Amino acid sequence: MGREVSESCIDSLLIEMVSTYCNRFYANKPELAARRIESIGYQVGHQLSERYTMERPRFSDHLEAIKFICKDFWSELFKKQIDNLKTNHRGTFVLQDNNFRWLTRMSIDQSPENGTSGEAPIIADEKAVESMHLYFPCGIIRGALSNLGIPCAVSADISNLPACSFVVRIKA
Amino acid sequence: MQFFGGSEISPSPPVPTATANNAHMMYIFNRNGVCLLYREWNRPLHTLNAQQDHKLMFGLLFSLKSLTAKMDPINAEKGNLGIPQLPGQGCSFHSFRTNTYKLSFMETPSGIKFILITNPRTGDLRETLKYIYNLYVEYVAKNALYTPGTLIRCELFNTALDQYVRSIA
Amino acid sequence: MAPAAPRSGEAIFSSVDRVNAELFTLTYGAIVRQLLNDLEEVEEVNKQLDQMGYNIGIRLIDEFLAKSNVSRCVDFKETADMIAKVGFKMFLGVTASVTKWDADGSCCSIVLEENPLVDFVELPDTCQGLYYCNILSGVIRGALEMVAMKTEVTWIRDMLRGDDAYELQVKLLSQLPEEYPYKDDE
Repeated sequence: MGREVSESCIDSLLIEMVSTYCNRFYANKPELAARRIESIGYQVGHQLSERYTMERPRFSDHLEAIKFICKDFWSELFKKQIDNLKTNHRGTFVLQDNNFRWLTRMSIDQSPENGTSGEAPIIADEKAVESMHLYFPCGIIRGALSNLGIPCAVSADISNLPACSFVVRIKA
Repeated sequence: MQFFGGSEISPSPPVPTATANNAHMMYIFNRNGVCLLYREWNRPLHTLNAQQDHKLMFGLLFSLKSLTAKMDPINAEKGNLGIPQLPGQGCSFHSFRTNTYKLSFMETPSGIKFILITNPRTGDLRETLKYIYNLYVEYVAKNALYTPGTLIRCELFNTALDQYVRSIA
Repeated sequence: MAPAAPRSGEAIFSSVDRVNAELFTLTYGAIVRQLLNDLEEVEEVNKQLDQMGYNIGIRLIDEFLAKSNVSRCVDFKETADMIAKVGFKMFLGVTASVTKWDADGSCCSIVLEENPLVDFVELPDTCQGLYYCNILSGVIRGALEMVAMKTEVTWIRDMLRGDDAYELQVKLLSQLPEEYPYKDDE
């Protein structure tokens, strides 16, 4: 096992990175903030995949590469593998993590009864922040696959929290 | 009972000795006197509106702290009555008891105040409040959707807190 | 009941959830690179990194206090010592030392021999003037402000700039007592 840092280091760095781009730099341009956050993830994924595949033969096909992301790559990042992999055999893969680490502490109270003052809840805003946090891991996956020679688009679905599904669409 | 993915949490929760719900309500204030959280489990009587109630509670603690420090017969670091203290300066109190309730109090060096009102027969709750501080760290401070200094509206924190106070004896 | 003694940084570090440091280091590197792209001015990047660190320090202080069992931060010397010895260890897994105390105990240096932020980093010439690790000074400033100490934190030595260690000077400007926050007496 190589060097480690406390999980709080990466968690708080990500919270602050997202908040910097969404609230300070591009408060009124969420699509620009999203693009920057995704691009930071892309760089990280690209570099990590480079490091983790250095001593490995090239992958023979897309499925092999996707399996590498689900197993070895995910384990390096989250100490667990992707729980479920599905594909339509036409270039779309769905990678589901049943308890995605970076979302486990995110929560808001939706019930109005606990307000200590008359402040109106801003749930919509918080939902937006939550989805902003997904651009980073999507970028990581896209960067990692791109380093393996597989251009693709990645999106995330969190309709089933704390499970998170990443949808990878490989570009023909 | 496990709250967080396999990590050790300190201090570990004191072992529950009864199952009765002894807790009436809880307040969390920050150092600016903002009531970040008020949670109520069993309070049949309300005499003030919420805002007055919170203000009264904060004022009581503020005065009591400066009073207890002033009365200290041992420690030289007393300060003068009414002169502002640094957080953690001087002695402090951790609970008082009336014939109908007990108030337990913990202030962190970062100025966060935890106040728990329980049945007067409740034992020492200092470890309990420390544990609640750990819950605060996990579910409030580390929650990406929470902005420091704002009111706490975190579902996971409320759930963990409700579940935990039920075990207080 | 005597107050429990503060826990050591090693003990806390071994008990918390940890992640692969590469992920952290590369993520920080990617953020700095993105900021350099977006902001152009190196000075502005330094400022933003410091601001990000400050906001992180505000959040991290409570984890530090809760896990370390530190129950008071009134004395600056004691507090700076705890942050260096327990704080750096429990979060980054590295040891920091405190040196160069001035006569009245209001200014010192925190020295890092190891720094996980800079693994794999080499600064190109175009980054002259960049304080790559400026996020760290912000974290310390933010954390100390939460325990009522206003400080100024500046880099004295930086290995990415050819020095032999990482050294931060921490200078106490003032301690802010708690004031009664309500004006009107009802």
